[in-house]
Amino acid sequence: MTETILRIRNLKTYFFTRRGIVKAVDGIDFDLLKSECLCLVGESGCGKTVTALSIIGLIDSPPGRIVDGEIYYDSLNLLECPPDQLRHLRGKEIAMVFQDAQSALNPVFTVGDQIAEQVKLHLGMNQRQAKEKTLSLLKEVGIPSPEKATDYYPHQLSGGMRQRAMIAMSLSCDPQILIADEPTTAVDVTVKAQILDIFSQLKNARQMSFLFITHELGIVPQIGDRILVMYGGRVAETATVTELLNNPKHPYTASLIKCLPDIAQTRDRLESIPGTVPSLIDPPRGCLFHPRCDQAMAICQKEAPPPFTVAEGHTVFCHLYSLPKR
Amino acid sequence: MTDQLKNIKNIARKVGSAKKPIFITVIVLLGITFLLDIFVVDRIFDILVYLYIALGALFVLYGIPSLYASRRLMLYYWQRASKNKLAVGGLAFILFLILLAIIGPLFTADPTAVNFEEKNVPPLGFALEESVYDLKTGQFITHQTTGTGEHPLGTDDKGRDLMAMIISGASVSLQVGLFATGIAIALGTLIGVSAAYLGGKVDNVLMRFTDIMMTFPFFLLLVFIVFIFGPNLALIVVIIGLTGWTGTARLIRSESLSLRTREFVMASKALGASDGRIVLSHLIPNVISLIIVIATLSIPGVILAEAALSFIGLGDPNVASWGMILRAGQQNLDTTWWVAVAPGVMLFFTVLAFNFLGDGLRDAFDPRSNV
Repeated sequence: MTETILRIRNLKTYFFTRRGIVKAVDGIDFDLLKSECLCLVGESGCGKTVTALSIIGLIDSPPGRIVDGEIYYDSLNLLECPPDQLRHLRGKEIAMVFQDAQSALNPVFTVGDQIAEQVKLHLGMNQRQAKEKTLSLLKEVGIPSPEKATDYYPHQLSGGMRQRAMIAMSLSCDPQILIADEPTTAVDVTVKAQILDIFSQLKNARQMSFLFITHELGIVPQIGDRILVMYGGRVAETATVTELLNNPKHPYTASLIKCLPDIAQTRDRLESIPGTVPSLIDPPRGCLFHPRCDQAMAICQKEAPPPFTVAEGHTVFCHLYSLPKR
Repeated sequence: MTDQLKNIKNIARKVGSAKKPIFITVIVLLGITFLLDIFVVDRIFDILVYLYIALGALFVLYGIPSLYASRRLMLYYWQRASKNKLAVGGLAFILFLILLAIIGPLFTADPTAVNFEEKNVPPLGFALEESVYDLKTGQFITHQTTGTGEHPLGTDDKGRDLMAMIISGASVSLQVGLFATGIAIALGTLIGVSAAYLGGKVDNVLMRFTDIMMTFPFFLLLVFIVFIFGPNLALIVVIIGLTGWTGTARLIRSESLSLRTREFVMASKALGASDGRIVLSHLIPNVISLIIVIATLSIPGVILAEAALSFIGLGDPNVASWGMILRAGQQNLDTTWWVAVAPGVMLFFTVLAFNFLGDGLRDAFDPRSNV
């Protein structure tokens, strides 16, 4: 259909700690298409952020190391890229928005200076051009009176404004891919809606690909095209957003959807998935989800499930679908 | 009036945008005159004069604009620091000293002019009684010398004006204090931040090197080097600077260690900043308040080190530093006590002033302290 801009194959990122090897990301595959928004969804500690950091080559080493796999940006294998070239790609081609803008912005510089620095660094603009670019970026992310905002230090802005400034900064060099690592987690609900609005506007205005990492399934329909559910460092299920939300195949996805709070419905308690995320040092054999799965079978404890294509563009890693007919 | 102001602002903006070329021009010109000075004209100015001009250009082009840009913050710090009266007093004394060192020599006599007619004149308001053998009468008579307004602080045993010597000594002490501390702080900051940021083996190597430097008795080294290369103020300054960075490096490292793991470092990495850029434009600006405090508190130590060196006779004999005067004065402490007392008092207050200012600044910069 459309061009693939980022192709990840069999990515394995392990952390070698004193207590053992943490298989934070253990063999995931996915494609990010041009100008689509792929949402990476999963519980805390399932390897979403590590996947993102692996892509931009910022896994702390030691203890972390990408032990296997391929990450292709266009036709360039990022894992074999010399560090200097990778550094030039970061920010200019692949940019990242962090969860907490309060700590992701340098407290001792004004917002304007930090964005301008980015522009000067990657695009070689002079002071005046950089300033103009900064103002237009701040306007694009919906900051009222950007002239004033450039002179503010991060702590003088509200949470939402800070997050916008952070987004403006990562947009500064017109990257091809924007990785957003839980950009709505640290802000309140109304700001969250505004931030999501900005992302959808950006998606429409710019021909940009988004890798949107979140643990909130609820916000996915607003911006996502496709969705990738991760569990324990592996892919559980992937499909288009509407397909996946209406027709979840993996028991984990189904229970995640069940956990979504619904204001219209009056329930005493919110649903939860029994058990906890498996330890990635000593993961269960077979399917990682089987200790928490209510439909687990004998085979689930022995073999990791292979991918099954259940519909066009809908792949699920679950033994339930290996049976000829349920 | 407003037009004029606008004009000034415009000029300032133009100068501001051409900062780098102007600074490079100044440095190149300085370099050329320096080389001419050494090889063709044979010394008109001291090396330190060149350092002065270079630092002055740096301050005017980079220091003042950034101070002006963050004037609100500066005002805030000033309000906090000014609640500490001792710190304000210290600052006033230091400013007075700087003024004294710069414009004082224009009004005083030549500090090196020897005049045996007027030797051992006491300070204004004091008198010295001596028993002198009178050749005419063949008897001991008591001869009284009183201080005059011509030599408000008196003279030494060679008739040199003590006031002039003290003032020239002030400029020596400040030069030593500022330059040696400047070198030490620059080195210490770079080493400390690099060690913290790069971590691992680099951190280990740099910090063990720091430990070795720390255990080395630096005063002995100073004595040794001065003994070999001869006493020269510039050399002394450089050596004090090159050996005095160890404590700074440790403090800066421990402060930067917590900065390294902050998310904005990760964020700027994710947006393609190089290691050098992160160190220079993200880590160092975040420890700048600590740097200022360390610098202020280490200046008195350096001044005292130079004075001590002069006192034991290893100072530059061509400059009248306070240590030098102190050394000359302590030999006749029982009669001409003022020769030793004047530089001693100046040293005491200078050291005290820097310490008070440093303490005040530390409290002002510390967001947790409630001044």
